[in-house]
Amino acid sequence: MAENSTLRLAWRGLGRNRKRSVLAIAAIGLGQFAFLATAGIMRGYADHYFDSVTGPLVGHVQIVAPGWREERAVDQTLDNVETMLAAIRGQSQVARAVPRIYAPVLAALEEEGFVGMVVGADPALEGVANGLLGSEELAGLLGDGRVLVGKGLARQHGIETGAELAVVGQDIDGSIASALYEVAAVVESPVELVNSTGIVAGLQDAQTLLRMDDEAHEIAVRLHEAEQIDQAADSLGAQPALQGAEIKRWHEVIPQLAGMIKLMDVYSLVVLGIVCLASIAGIANTMMMSTFERRRELGMLLALGANPGRLFRMVATEAVLLGALGVLLGTALGACFAALTAGSGFDLAELGGEESFEMGFQGVQIASRVYPEVRASDVLAGVSAVLVTALSACVWPLLHVARLEPVEAMRT
Amino acid sequence: MSNRKKTNLGLLLVLQVFCMAPSAAQDTAPAAQALLEQFDEMYRSTGGTAARIEIKIERPKKVRTMQMRSWSQGEDKALVVIDAPARDAGTATLRVGSNLWNYLPKISRTIRVPPALMMGAWMGSDLTNDDLVRESSYAHDYEITGVGPSEEPPGWQVNTEAKPGVPGLWERVEVVFARAEQLPILVRYYDRKGRLSRTMQLEEIKKMGGRLIPTRIVISPEREEGRRTVLTYLHVEFDVELDESLFSLAQLERRR
Repeated sequence: MAENSTLRLAWRGLGRNRKRSVLAIAAIGLGQFAFLATAGIMRGYADHYFDSVTGPLVGHVQIVAPGWREERAVDQTLDNVETMLAAIRGQSQVARAVPRIYAPVLAALEEEGFVGMVVGADPALEGVANGLLGSEELAGLLGDGRVLVGKGLARQHGIETGAELAVVGQDIDGSIASALYEVAAVVESPVELVNSTGIVAGLQDAQTLLRMDDEAHEIAVRLHEAEQIDQAADSLGAQPALQGAEIKRWHEVIPQLAGMIKLMDVYSLVVLGIVCLASIAGIANTMMMSTFERRRELGMLLALGANPGRLFRMVATEAVLLGALGVLLGTALGACFAALTAGSGFDLAELGGEESFEMGFQGVQIASRVYPEVRASDVLAGVSAVLVTALSACVWPLLHVARLEPVEAMRT
Repeated sequence: MSNRKKTNLGLLLVLQVFCMAPSAAQDTAPAAQALLEQFDEMYRSTGGTAARIEIKIERPKKVRTMQMRSWSQGEDKALVVIDAPARDAGTATLRVGSNLWNYLPKISRTIRVPPALMMGAWMGSDLTNDDLVRESSYAHDYEITGVGPSEEPPGWQVNTEAKPGVPGLWERVEVVFARAEQLPILVRYYDRKGRLSRTMQLEEIKKMGGRLIPTRIVISPEREEGRRTVLTYLHVEFDVELDESLFSLAQLERRR
């Protein structure tokens, strides 16, 4: 009963000055909304980066020859790739394992040379959704002297489908490697490297060009569950077929991007901190004003023998109620934002009146369109933060109540 | 007098292309200046130059040897054709001015090397494409900062610094000359950060083509253990008559 009446009194307290309470609720609500929207956008970007990186290019785990990652010398190859692939695919966590070859080349349509990168890829493995080509149709064009050329490279040098492309580089023995390829198609890949410099050749064609046997530069491994990275890397490291090879987790391959994804979490926390400050300011102000205005009333209650603890509870409940209403409003707005944008995405460029864009970062295509992902844990974090700050914000009003002299208060 | 001819740091090792016209000797350290000019002109001849060279490219896991013929004329024309190994035979590099073309006999194509690849390795060696085309002169692009005796190796050491505005990789170059022949025997190259970047040892001074020249040159990049490029002159002829058309794209492709 007492608790019910405390809640009722708190509710009435909020209604005493509706405008003030509505403003405070709106400020807290906007804060919670800003936090949920930021966390959602940041997570959307982080997931996009993660998928873009681990999907077609890096994989969750990478297997390379020792030192290849640093030097990228064409002769730093993995030997017995077929045996390695069989051992990798034998692991229960592994969804896909694809061998790849990378060779910097001088390419030319006519006399003028330009820089390119021959990327040797297995057509049978790269046509799937998370493959380098992402389309079975494109993968089917590859091989037997036919190559796919990245959109950016093609645009820069006027390369068209059907053109004959000469490439020259160095084979694994250091001798001159040269070949003529037919351009089967110009492709747009989610991988920046392929778009800007890529000449994607069939794995066998690349092996022939570079005089490789059963060799490749890297094996990109994709797992069923991204959370199994450490476990999978450890079990791959124990495979006899992979002894001597370097086994790298994705965040070891591109630490900059891993750092950037971590930074996004920090950014969300900063916004949460700002929400807390806004809540503290809103709630403390409202509660201070409300307590001062009710000085006489509170003094009377004390004079009539009311328990000071009950007054404390009343003020604290009022503060929590204010915070809870605000956070409820913000969560509702956040839920609407998530529902409206999760499917169709949210284009940050359009906010600034710009057209959508894609940019390359660390070899990955990053789009300005993001698909926000708001999680229940974000709502919980916002609610907890606001409630804790609500209680903290009412410390000052409570101290004021504690110091009230009933007779003195009634006189004012 | 003002027709100052230039020599090329890398190419003089391989192609002996560039000419050095006489230039007024500077007041400071005239002996050192003369030594540097002699270095610049070491492989130069007023007519054409023809040579057979062996290049050994040593890498931590393997050694690759190539044999090639080279012809050069004037300041800026040079042609190198690989004879061995058979796999690379017929591959040729033509330099005219600041342009560099590679001819690939296997695909019968000639490709001009773009500026972006100028710092790339030439034929997989420790010489860059840029070494082949960059015109540079020890005597004129570098300022002498000190001359003194060298103990290791014994000889005279001339310290130089790149003159302001001179493009290139090297900030400082130290050249040690043999006391007897007054020919260079060791060159140390320091990069723009002041770090020793590569050394070049000039060995086996012999009379070849009627001239006393170092016939073995070892280029060792620093901080890259197990890597070096060794050039050995098998035969050199100075002041030979060469047909101008030798240095044309048409001739390059016809050579095969």
